[in-house]
Amino acid sequence: MITEIGHGSFMRRIAVMVGAGHVPGLNAVVMGAATAAGKLGWETVGIRDGFDGLLYPERYPDGGLVTLDPGLIANLDPNAAGILGQAPRVDPFHVRQVNADEMVEEVDLSDRLLEKLKAEKIDALIGVVGGRGMSILFKLHRKALNVVCVPRSIENDIAATSVSFGFNSALSFTIEMLDRVRQAAQSARKIGVVEVLGEQAGWLALQAGIAVGADVVLIPEIPADLATVAARLKEKVTDRRPWGLVVVAEGAKLVETSKAKAEPSPLKASLSPLATGEASAYVIHRTGHAAEAVATGLQLLIAEETYPMVLGPWVRGGAPTAVDRQLGMCYGAGAVRAIKAGDYGTMVAFVPPDLKFVPLTEAINKVRTVPLDGGFIQVARSLGICLGKEL
Amino acid sequence: MGSSVNPSAPTGIVLNIQRYCSHDGPGIRTNVFLKGCSLRCKWCGNPESIAPKPELSYDARKCTGRKECGTCLKPPFPEGAFFVPEGADDDKVKVNWHLATGCDQALASLCPTGALEMFGKKMTVDEVLDEVEKDSSFYRNTGGGMTLSGGECLLQPDFSAALLAGAHERGFNTAIETACNVPWRFVEKVLPHVDTMLHDHKMTIPERHKKWVGVDNKRILENFKKAYETFPDIDFIARTPLIPGINADEEHIRAVLAFIRPHKNVIDYELLPYHRFGLGKYELLGEVYELDDYKTPSDDVVKHLQSIIDEAFGRTNSTARP
Repeated sequence: MITEIGHGSFMRRIAVMVGAGHVPGLNAVVMGAATAAGKLGWETVGIRDGFDGLLYPERYPDGGLVTLDPGLIANLDPNAAGILGQAPRVDPFHVRQVNADEMVEEVDLSDRLLEKLKAEKIDALIGVVGGRGMSILFKLHRKALNVVCVPRSIENDIAATSVSFGFNSALSFTIEMLDRVRQAAQSARKIGVVEVLGEQAGWLALQAGIAVGADVVLIPEIPADLATVAARLKEKVTDRRPWGLVVVAEGAKLVETSKAKAEPSPLKASLSPLATGEASAYVIHRTGHAAEAVATGLQLLIAEETYPMVLGPWVRGGAPTAVDRQLGMCYGAGAVRAIKAGDYGTMVAFVPPDLKFVPLTEAINKVRTVPLDGGFIQVARSLGICLGKEL
Repeated sequence: MGSSVNPSAPTGIVLNIQRYCSHDGPGIRTNVFLKGCSLRCKWCGNPESIAPKPELSYDARKCTGRKECGTCLKPPFPEGAFFVPEGADDDKVKVNWHLATGCDQALASLCPTGALEMFGKKMTVDEVLDEVEKDSSFYRNTGGGMTLSGGECLLQPDFSAALLAGAHERGFNTAIETACNVPWRFVEKVLPHVDTMLHDHKMTIPERHKKWVGVDNKRILENFKKAYETFPDIDFIARTPLIPGINADEEHIRAVLAFIRPHKNVIDYELLPYHRFGLGKYELLGEVYELDDYKTPSDDVVKHLQSIIDEAFGRTNSTARP
């Protein structure tokens, strides 16, 4: 619905959607986008629960779209849960549903989604998404949808932007929790081993570890040798300081010693081929496994007692920090600027001190990892933090 | 009652054929895994069997990397579907599963190392049976034969019926492994050719069944009951994949026993303690295993639940799987 309103400006109707996975302060992005669009005389709507509000409007008695008018935006609480809600799976190309024969199936509803967007006269879509969501929106863009993405990542692992929305809130909460673990470790005279989010990139573990003065930080970028870690802990944990703090990113890798073989089982013979044992390299180890592996491994190498803890999903909730509130508003307003400029198929990137619009191809299929010769690594080493491998 | 084999459906999508199996029917057996499933059990151990069509898989262990190969990083492979992340430990390829959806057998076959493969291929009835026939001497000596598994073999009813009928013609015992979440017309097409039907009772309460499996169990139970009554000569063996915290409880086992015991052709009830052998396969498909934190049931729990079944069947020996 593009209507000329004079001076070369056009009345537009844009939509905002949020991908799967919560991060604190999503309302800030919505507020930024709706406010900036309002200043241009555009109408902004939000799609409920990913794309569900458009694909399944019958599920929403109040409508699957939320009109983000100035009155609503003025009263939106930036600390509250996102006004648009979320869906656990947001992929219109691969939608799980139950068919008329009561059988579960995955179907491609991308064309239906595009038809619905057209029927709602939506000119452009702002997607607040992580890495996977960005690939999905890229596919929709290739099907001629006008898309601008806002990068959202707890782990800050999205390429082409310095800081993704949500990272700072996660970092602040992680630091607060590590402080508490340190106090508990001090009083219990043990070594706390805390697993934090970071499957592919160790920003959260490293920056939080530096902030709290951790003894050890293990990140995916540096495969760790537990013998080296144990030797450093033996130096650090003394009678005068009988406690320690180890921060482990969930994707941290240990230098392999010996890998247990899959237990043979008669059950395997009845499974389809490629069935493996738990100890196989094929097994996806997720939440909690890294902390447990490191804590158990260290306890076998040193005299001190270790205890594993997992922050994991705790960091996804709560209120946003001041930085994320500001960043959210900036990203939302920046996305509207990209639409105004016709820069579709892009992601808004924060490249201090500027906001830039980079093609989605510069963000997808890349991971923003911690550079091994970068400043944070140097700082950590200069503070005496063991990174799992001696230089 | 019985319906004839549909000659217009001589082919089906087969995931794999596994020889020397001993747990899915009498004797030594060959399991034929068919593609396609109508449920989405969160604990599924055969995720590569779920999609009805052949699908791409990627085995990073076989990839020799960009420097040595790099075939999939260039056309005709779709742009962005395969990539090597900057700063990675090695130069092995990764898959963007969202952008690789168009990859088919023709593209996968271009991968010289076999890292890219398709799960599932179209086969004729005779092709499958010729493979199954290779172990016919074992079947004769042990009373074994062919078991159709999946996925859900009843989702390809014409192909399954033709396979089973053909197996009978060749003198093999036949069995199917099914969850039975299909219209009855599919069931009645296949069962006339079945000697043993292994069937899953996953959960008792419909709402919980829907939560963990994708649909409730109303139609499934109706199909079971109708099958017991319509096909008195089939040996039915009930099964429960036993998952702690989900269905490894006495109440469920007793509910299943109450359902099956009035039917004398339900000759056994087997417990299949939850295992994690299938986890690695999710990675090959770029999928996320949703039940990661669940453990296998303890021996004590399995023994206790097995004793309830043994008592109901008037046995003293445990038959639970290790």
